[in-house]
Amino acid sequence: MSNIINIKNVTKEFKVLNRREGLKGSIKDLFSRDYKIVRAVDNISMDIEQGEVIGYLGPNGAGKSTTIKMMTGVLEPTSGEILVGGNIPYKNRTKNAQDIGVVFGQRSQLWWALPLIESFNILKDIYQIGDNEYHNMLEMYQSLVDIESLLHKPVRQMSLGQRTLSDILAAFLHDPKIVFLDEPTIGLDVSMKAKIRDLIYALNKEKNTTVILTTHDMGDVDALCRRIVIIDKGKMLYDNDIEHLRGFFGSYRTLKIRVDGKLSKCADIVRKELANLSVSSDDEWISILVDEEKTTVMDVLNQLRNTFNIRDMQLEEISTEDVIKKIYEEGVK
Amino acid sequence: MKIKKYLTLTRAGIIESLNFRLAILIMIAGNLLYLIVVYFLWKSIFASSETGVVNGMTFTDTLIYLVLATALFNFMEMYTVWDMGRNIQSGKIVLDLLKPMEYRSYLFWSYSGSFVTNFFFTVLPTFMVVIIVTHGAIPFGINLLFFAVSVILGVMINYSIDFIVGTICLYTESIWGINIMKQVIVLLLSGATVPIVFFPEPLKTIVYYLPFQSIYNAPLTLLLSRNPSYETVLIIIGTQLIWCIIITAFGKIFWKKSLRQITVNGG
Repeated sequence: MSNIINIKNVTKEFKVLNRREGLKGSIKDLFSRDYKIVRAVDNISMDIEQGEVIGYLGPNGAGKSTTIKMMTGVLEPTSGEILVGGNIPYKNRTKNAQDIGVVFGQRSQLWWALPLIESFNILKDIYQIGDNEYHNMLEMYQSLVDIESLLHKPVRQMSLGQRTLSDILAAFLHDPKIVFLDEPTIGLDVSMKAKIRDLIYALNKEKNTTVILTTHDMGDVDALCRRIVIIDKGKMLYDNDIEHLRGFFGSYRTLKIRVDGKLSKCADIVRKELANLSVSSDDEWISILVDEEKTTVMDVLNQLRNTFNIRDMQLEEISTEDVIKKIYEEGVK
Repeated sequence: MKIKKYLTLTRAGIIESLNFRLAILIMIAGNLLYLIVVYFLWKSIFASSETGVVNGMTFTDTLIYLVLATALFNFMEMYTVWDMGRNIQSGKIVLDLLKPMEYRSYLFWSYSGSFVTNFFFTVLPTFMVVIIVTHGAIPFGINLLFFAVSVILGVMINYSIDFIVGTICLYTESIWGINIMKQVIVLLLSGATVPIVFFPEPLKTIVYYLPFQSIYNAPLTLLLSRNPSYETVLIIIGTQLIWCIIITAFGKIFWKKSLRQITVNGG
């Protein structure tokens, strides 16, 4: 039993004010009691062990950030219990802060105008990191990425990729037990993504830091996470290792075709013809979800070729969104 | 060890503001311009009076007061309300809340660096100029010590007022109007734009009971008066101290309550 995080039946409800307009309205809103209640997180439980890397997935607005904010102590759960490293985060936020590191994809905690090394020095004092630990950490960073070239560059002159990299290093600097990474690879190019993944992987291995990673990029998950947790609309849909999930959905592929003739009409015909498959269409493509264990993509294509003149086709591995949609529609048995 | 974690923020603030050389130059130039306007404005006011003394102050007295008030204003100027408002709107405040120290102190110490640079770039030069030009309008003596204590209290009161206004931004989510309102009120009622002795009677008494005059008027009075009685000094600093405690306490409680509001209700 080395659970670092215990979450038990956590629910978070927001009272959302039905807002009025203008300064007068805002002042009135100070006293208004016109609320509606939104349930952002609904009865979630999980235990996380020291050293795990967890992929925390779900569509936009699923409640991921809310859960993370509760774990960091910025939000207080409406009901249920959260323990992070033995602390109740919202009660001991300042103490809890010493044990965690945070990276929010689009925001930086670094000092904008200063060279990176100054930010590190400030963090060293704020988190009261000892001189030896600090130097060892910097040495280790140097062995993982070429940090020397970044250290003396002001953060505002960095590219997004360099900044994200720096932010991740900053989050690990005080050797926290847990690091929360909220969409760290958002907006980065492929090689930078790979670099960031390697870095997170190495830091986790080196320091046995628990990493909780939210992302929309299945590549991040594949590269880093053994275990994934999926939530949607505040409810937990899945909590198991990734092989398990692949076993369920690995055999699914999305076949996209473009045909001669009016798309919506053709889509209806396809739907009729492939009654047992799920078919959807947009302005450009007709998408068909194929379970390769039952029928192969080739069979479907052959069948369609009898009726249509196929102009173009694409084959896509099932995406996170599709997996989540599938799970949401059918559940995991 | 403990104080180091705050002083490092001061240090960062100094380096940060030194980075913007142009901003410092523009600040100095802007000050000069403002002082020129002040000079001519008050010159014409005094020209219309026959005795050369208005409300017990000569032209030189008034000018020295206002020049020093401007210097103090620049010294204390913090963009607390702006920064809090912006951070609340953008959500960056979450990152600041996750630092292992109180947000209130974190923010204060982040600004403290600019006190140091402002001291060297505006306060000290202004003092020098005033001393040289007026040949000793500023008495040297124990009053400098009172002044220093008084300024520190003034800084704390100023910050607390800013922090309270910033906290209001949590509710309104708009910054501009509130900030302008605060600025006008503070500048007028603190004696930074017009010396308080010039205020008409009922207002003058009211203003002396308000916290704002403790920011600029109190330290300047201590600095400029020759041989004040210890009773006067005690009253001025005592008033400041009481306001400082009240406003700081109020600000802390208000912030705590408001923060609970966010942690319960989300930002």
